[in-house]
Amino acid sequence: MPLRRSAPTRREILEQCVALGSLAVVAASPARAMLDAFEQHEREYHRPTPPNELGPFYKKNAPVTSMFRVPGDPGIPLVVSGQVFNTRGDQLTGAVVEIWQTDHLGHYDLDGYRYRGKIALDKTAAYKLDSVMPGHYPDRVCQHVHFAVTAPGHKPLVTQLYFATDPVFEGDPDRNFKRDPLIHSRELVRPVMLVGDPDQIQAAVRFELCLEIL
Amino acid sequence: MSRSSIFMAVMLVLLTGLSTGQNLKLEKTLTVPPDAEVSFAAISSRGDYVAAACKDGRVRLWAFPSGEPRQVFDLTDQPASALRFSDDGSLLAVGGDRGAGKIWGLPSGKLKLEFTVGTRIEALALSPDRTLLAIARQEMPAQLWDISAGRLITDLPAKFSGSLAVAFSPDGQRLVSADADTEIRFYEAQTGALRATNSDFLLETFAIGFSPNGKYLYLGGADKTISALDPVSGKTLRAFPKQSYVVGELQVSRDGKSIAAVYFDPNGFRNPAPVLLWDVATGMVRTTIQENGFTANGGQFLNDGRLLLTSSATGKLQVWSVR
Repeated sequence: MPLRRSAPTRREILEQCVALGSLAVVAASPARAMLDAFEQHEREYHRPTPPNELGPFYKKNAPVTSMFRVPGDPGIPLVVSGQVFNTRGDQLTGAVVEIWQTDHLGHYDLDGYRYRGKIALDKTAAYKLDSVMPGHYPDRVCQHVHFAVTAPGHKPLVTQLYFATDPVFEGDPDRNFKRDPLIHSRELVRPVMLVGDPDQIQAAVRFELCLEIL
Repeated sequence: MSRSSIFMAVMLVLLTGLSTGQNLKLEKTLTVPPDAEVSFAAISSRGDYVAAACKDGRVRLWAFPSGEPRQVFDLTDQPASALRFSDDGSLLAVGGDRGAGKIWGLPSGKLKLEFTVGTRIEALALSPDRTLLAIARQEMPAQLWDISAGRLITDLPAKFSGSLAVAFSPDGQRLVSADADTEIRFYEAQTGALRATNSDFLLETFAIGFSPNGKYLYLGGADKTISALDPVSGKTLRAFPKQSYVVGELQVSRDGKSIAAVYFDPNGFRNPAPVLLWDVATGMVRTTIQENGFTANGGQFLNDGRLLLTSSATGKLQVWSVR
């Protein structure tokens, strides 16, 4: 099931709040100026996505594709989606997002580009990746997906996504996320939503990518 | 996972046995305490010292060929992850898993420099005149340091992430870094000014080493291939036949005729993988060390390339004569 992307913009929601009276603007300045100031203030509180190790098997020149999974691929289908923005909240539509992972058995493709790609962003800097749930790489504790994000004027972000459903966490990632010594931030362990019929189950994960401004 | 992590994993492997090839003979075995675990070992260029960086944060030094223990250095409270002798054997530089580093003088054992670089040290290099130190750091740019002043000269940034290997040319003019963005960068050693970049490699390079005459830079990594580059132009000159395993370490013999390369299995660092001795002239494998689950995490030639040191997870350092 495709995930819903960003529907109304924050601006539209705020304006609707004003119209419905759930957000009152009482000031000498016009409402528009107050909303601008409000948004500006809120943007300052976007925290950058925690970085995580690049790992030894990054491969450059990956093809542009959002579809890692091909018909017949074993493993649980996985959709990872999110948005690329910066600490001011600006959508980074020009960012380059590279993603790579193992197959469902935990093997990286070093000879080709299976489960590797550059992901196209839409006009709101949103992305959606169709893949499979990665296996446990033999020399890592947890299942993971690698990300490298670059955008002009921003500090490159190298990080990894982990899954709250990973058996390693025994259902309690808050307590157990450090069982993988490479996971330094609980934020990188994302909840997993299972959707679809039991015979066509699919996992879905949101992973926002927030870059620091240089 | 970084290169250091790889070798930490490799260290878990049990050495269950090793038999030699036709032209190999085990000459000497050095051991460390069972709980120490060796992450990397090296031999001084004169062949008078063997040093092992250990997971217990200590660096053990032996006299060679006697094998007598000489000294145990304390890094800090962190595992030692990188180790390098200066070309004349008068300095020993060691880096740690959490960014601490020290340089000791030999044979005095006097501490010459202590530094910290904020993240795991993947590799170290000392310039031939012992004035400069290059540090490959995990997830952060490589660095060039002035040893006598004890100060950072400059960062050597990649497009993103850090660096995996560094080396000075034998004449001390060039510094090379193998960076995690897969680029090979050639710098002016004194200033860190970028002079050339090789972008031919799609996967990360884990090991680099100059030929003794400085005419070739050899490298190997996740593409399972050893390649030779021109250190002046940075261009790729030739590639040796691709193998089934990833190159983790390499060193060129003193006579420039052989390359020792330590491999690991990308589908499991605990899996057995070989040490190969390559004949530079023919580009063919001359000797293979791989039997009974053997997995090495380091390999270095001694003196004229007649002897080879290998280290392994069990804490055994073995010296082989190579005919």
